[in-house]
Amino acid sequence: MKVLFVCSAGMSSTIAVNALKAEADKKGIEMDVLAVGTQEFEEEVKKGYDVAMVAPQIRHRYDYLEEAAKEAGIPCALIQPQAYSPLGGPKLLAQVLELVK
Amino acid sequence: MFDKISKFMDEKLSTPMARLAEQRHLRAIRDGIIATLPIIIVSSMFLVIAFMPNQLPADWAITAFIKANVGKILLPYRMAMFIMTLYAVFGIGYSLARSYKLDGLSGGIIAELAYMLTLIPKVGPSANEAVKALAAESQDLTVYISSVPTGWLLPMGQLGSAGLFVGILAAFFAVEVYRFTQTSNFKISMPPEVPASVARSFEALTPTAIVLLSVATLTMWLGVDVHGFIGKLVAPLVSGTDSLAAVLVICLLGMFFWSFGIHGWSIVGSLARPLWITMLDANTAAYTANQAIPHVAAEPFYQWFIVIGGSGCTIGLAILFLLRSKSAYGKALGKTAFLPAVFNINEPMIFGAPIVLNPILIIPFIITPMVCATIAWVATHLNLVNRVVASAPWTLPGPIGAYLATGGDIRAAILNIILIIISVLIYYPFFRMYDNKLLSDEKNSTNE
Repeated sequence: MKVLFVCSAGMSSTIAVNALKAEADKKGIEMDVLAVGTQEFEEEVKKGYDVAMVAPQIRHRYDYLEEAAKEAGIPCALIQPQAYSPLGGPKLLAQVLELVK
Repeated sequence: MFDKISKFMDEKLSTPMARLAEQRHLRAIRDGIIATLPIIIVSSMFLVIAFMPNQLPADWAITAFIKANVGKILLPYRMAMFIMTLYAVFGIGYSLARSYKLDGLSGGIIAELAYMLTLIPKVGPSANEAVKALAAESQDLTVYISSVPTGWLLPMGQLGSAGLFVGILAAFFAVEVYRFTQTSNFKISMPPEVPASVARSFEALTPTAIVLLSVATLTMWLGVDVHGFIGKLVAPLVSGTDSLAAVLVICLLGMFFWSFGIHGWSIVGSLARPLWITMLDANTAAYTANQAIPHVAAEPFYQWFIVIGGSGCTIGLAILFLLRSKSAYGKALGKTAFLPAVFNINEPMIFGAPIVLNPILIIPFIITPMVCATIAWVATHLNLVNRVVASAPWTLPGPIGAYLATGGDIRAAILNIILIIISVLIYYPFFRMYDNKLLSDEKNSTNE
């Protein structure tokens, strides 16, 4: 499964990405996750991802990020604030799995 | 009750306000300027090197070498940060064109054209016969004449941040003209067999002609001094943004958005960054010319003295969670959130603690940066600490970043450490309260 994360600069989402990967490993789910900043998102989202996840602190940019994801034909969602932390792995994984179902 | 009020405020106030900052022109400015940040960061490090002799013992060979070659060491900076508007305008034009779903490359080029047309190139003077005759008798005059550049010359000063606002307006004008010609079909269209890249350059002919003629008429033939005019309009804005009151308002706004979990810094930065860059560039230019440094509150000032460990100066809170937590959750959070905090990334803390919509932690989250801002502004204003002249990568640990950003002032690193201690002290009572709450929650849940 390929997941794309987007936050302001691609820095903080890297931490959430690691939490997600660790959780997926535990459950034996193969997961390929990349974190980018909003500027790279439009180009990156076209490259065959299964789902795009938007960091909660940039929810004011959600509308146009979602539009780009729609054009790429993949589901897109805002990460729940509680899931967006190093300890939020389980919640994050649940949200991602729910989206690609 | 608190939940209801905060939900109401988020839906009716903070999120709609944050969306305003996503207006396409503001976004274009933000993206265009952010695209130049690597250039600014890397080239401003040349400054740190060029002025290292101030920090090194005078009798070292390297000190003498750098001193003798300062001009040459700074040449890359002159072609990078010193003319940053040249780069930013392309990015602004590109981003704005893309937001209209137009070709970004054409948008960037036409924006650059409009901007360059606001500059008037001059021909370097050549010595006439009378001057040459004088030079034959004067060695000094001969040397002077041979050092005067000939051929066409560009006013470099206006390619830097001094021309930034003109550059922004020029990019807007050019891309709007481009969009108008595309949407109104007032353009030269090619049959579909023509390759896309060729068709694109033909499509850009009409807007290019309109931009070229209108801007050249204004600046070159009517002789309107747009740089002088815009510069006068922007000057009070710059000096206003440099005041302590403005710094506090900017901090408060940034924290307001973050309290709802919206990236406040990127919103405030969208609006303030053109002014911050103007200030930083003026500081850097003064520094290289050995003049008094004019501004206190350019962006690195915020980075190294106010948002240490991330927005809200949360480095103190991260230290407390790491060392003083009694609750299991607090301990786990401290372990994972401390290291990112050292590199000024605090989303794990903001969403993990959480600080967002947490009535206990929001109080120090707003107070701490305001206190740090006041202390740092006064200290810098009184020249107890050098003013910021360089842009260091924002993910450097605080004291190192502060040292580099001030052109290598050890006192800035010390101030940074003092502010970290202050952050710990302000956060402590609130942290204690919150950690106790976590602890009693944990006890209750195991008892059940």
